Amino acid sequence: MKTMLFEPEAKQAQQAQDSGDEYEAVEGLDRAAIECQRSFEAVAAKKTASDYSHIVWAYGVLWSLFAIYGVLLWRRGQRLRNDVQTLRTRIDSARSRPEST
Amino acid sequence: MRLPRQAWLLAKNDLRQELRDLELVATASFFTLVVLVMFGLSFASLGRSVQPLAIPGMLWLAVAFVGALTLTRIFDRERESDTLRALLIAPVERLAIYLAKAAVTLVVLVGCCFVLVPGLVFMFPAASVFAERPWDTAALVVLGCTAYASVGTVFAAGLATSSGKNVLLSVILYPLTSPALMWALVATRALLDGHPAFSTYLAQLAALDVLLVFLGGWLFESVLVGSGRRGASPRRARARSRKGRQ
Amino acid sequence: MMARTLPIILLLFAAVVFPLSVSTIFLDVGIERQLGTVQKIFYFHVPLAWIMMLYGMVCGIAAAVQLRRESRMAEAIAIAAGEMVIVAGLGVLITGPIWGHASWGKAWTWDARQITTGLLWLVFVAYVLVRRYGAAGSERLAAALAIFGAVDVPIIYYAVKIWKTTHPSNDVVATLPPEMWAALWPALGALLATATAMVAVRARQELAEMDLDDAWVEAEDIAPAAAVMVKGDA
Repeated sequence: MKTMLFEPEAKQAQQAQDSGDEYEAVEGLDRAAIECQRSFEAVAAKKTASDYSHIVWAYGVLWSLFAIYGVLLWRRGQRLRNDVQTLRTRIDSARSRPEST
Repeated sequence: MRLPRQAWLLAKNDLRQELRDLELVATASFFTLVVLVMFGLSFASLGRSVQPLAIPGMLWLAVAFVGALTLTRIFDRERESDTLRALLIAPVERLAIYLAKAAVTLVVLVGCCFVLVPGLVFMFPAASVFAERPWDTAALVVLGCTAYASVGTVFAAGLATSSGKNVLLSVILYPLTSPALMWALVATRALLDGHPAFSTYLAQLAALDVLLVFLGGWLFESVLVGSGRRGASPRRARARSRKGRQ
Repeated sequence: MMARTLPIILLLFAAVVFPLSVSTIFLDVGIERQLGTVQKIFYFHVPLAWIMMLYGMVCGIAAAVQLRRESRMAEAIAIAAGEMVIVAGLGVLITGPIWGHASWGKAWTWDARQITTGLLWLVFVAYVLVRRYGAAGSERLAAALAIFGAVDVPIIYYAVKIWKTTHPSNDVVATLPPEMWAALWPALGALLATATAMVAVRARQELAEMDLDDAWVEAEDIAPAAAVMVKGDA
């Protein structure tokens, strides 16, 4: 009977069969078995939750890395553009000024 | 056969200079001693059975530290008197310069190991294997230091320009010499444990040495070509100073 | 013209493929039996490792070309690839321990691949540092460093393998079962496209910067009165 506790499909099949009776067993047979299964489920749930938090962190880290690098590239581009602008103004002012040397 | 002769002359010259004022020898040996004492203080409480785990690390870490110091000092001298440029202008084969500098570094490192190994034997009973098998230890030390020197010389030379910064040398040296050091670590551990594979590791280390010397020699030329001319890239240098002013 | 549109095309491609890959990873592929849900980190971890290695080789080869032919384009590509190695390497080195911590509670397992990646990462960080803070003539030195780093890949790998014989092994299971490859390719596509786009952009910026430097120097030569007072050398 205990083995059926870990085979939900078989259990449901059993319950379907027994649905004609007055008394239907809702879950497993005895308290100890139920507690055993509950504790397994708790462990699995904890692992899943921990797993998800790790996944979120990992993906978050990856994307922030690329995002930060993208921002750095953007700022570098800005700096270059400003540099070009400064150079342009300087050349223009040199051109418009009368030749000194 | 100009190459060996030139390398030998250059190395002899450098060594003679070192022996004349003993600066490098004295400071390197004293530094070795200091590092040894630090290791002794840090790891004195290790049990006898655990010591073989730590001793290879101590030996090769000390070599790494002394190596960084030595390389810096060897090229500092060149930098101060600007002789590196003179050497490069002279009709000397680049490879000879590389071999000479690497040889001098090797000599200094092995010399420091003369302090290091007996010191370790003195402080840690598990290191007595070094005393019991002196020739094996000597071979191990020479091969490991060669690997270190062959890699380090290339990059120390590259950084030996007039405004070179020493801190970069450390940044470069440790990651690049790590495979050589790892091989030496494993071989040392095998020696301490009396492992039969020790000679295999030594042979592999020797092969690694050959590879690294070839690689270093090949790269040495390209690294130094720039520093031969006066102000390697004048455009870049001026542009850099302009950026610094902004 | 091509250089300007290439990053945009690649990024659009990545933007399209990325949701596809996420859906494949999370919806289509079942939960891996042994390792659980957290194994899904691998679908991005593995491609990043490949990207890191790829751009490590690219950097080394570009550096060799730069030294051989004094090519500016090669130099720009080398710098861009070097920076991407650092970014991707950081990703690998952070997601790996996250995965390890979730699976076994141990973030750093002294796995051979982990150490190799860490060491190579350090080499390329050194490369970028030398380029940024090195003295005027240190471009060639940096290139030598990159070449050494690229050549070092097999050397470091064998060194670590040998080194591990003295340390208890705790090998990371990093081989994917065949049915999960299907989820790997979209992730690889998205990441590779993004990385390549960034490398292309960075390379172009570097080329522009080199040209700008030349232009500034020429401007000072041609119009010294316009330039700010020159400090020191003429």
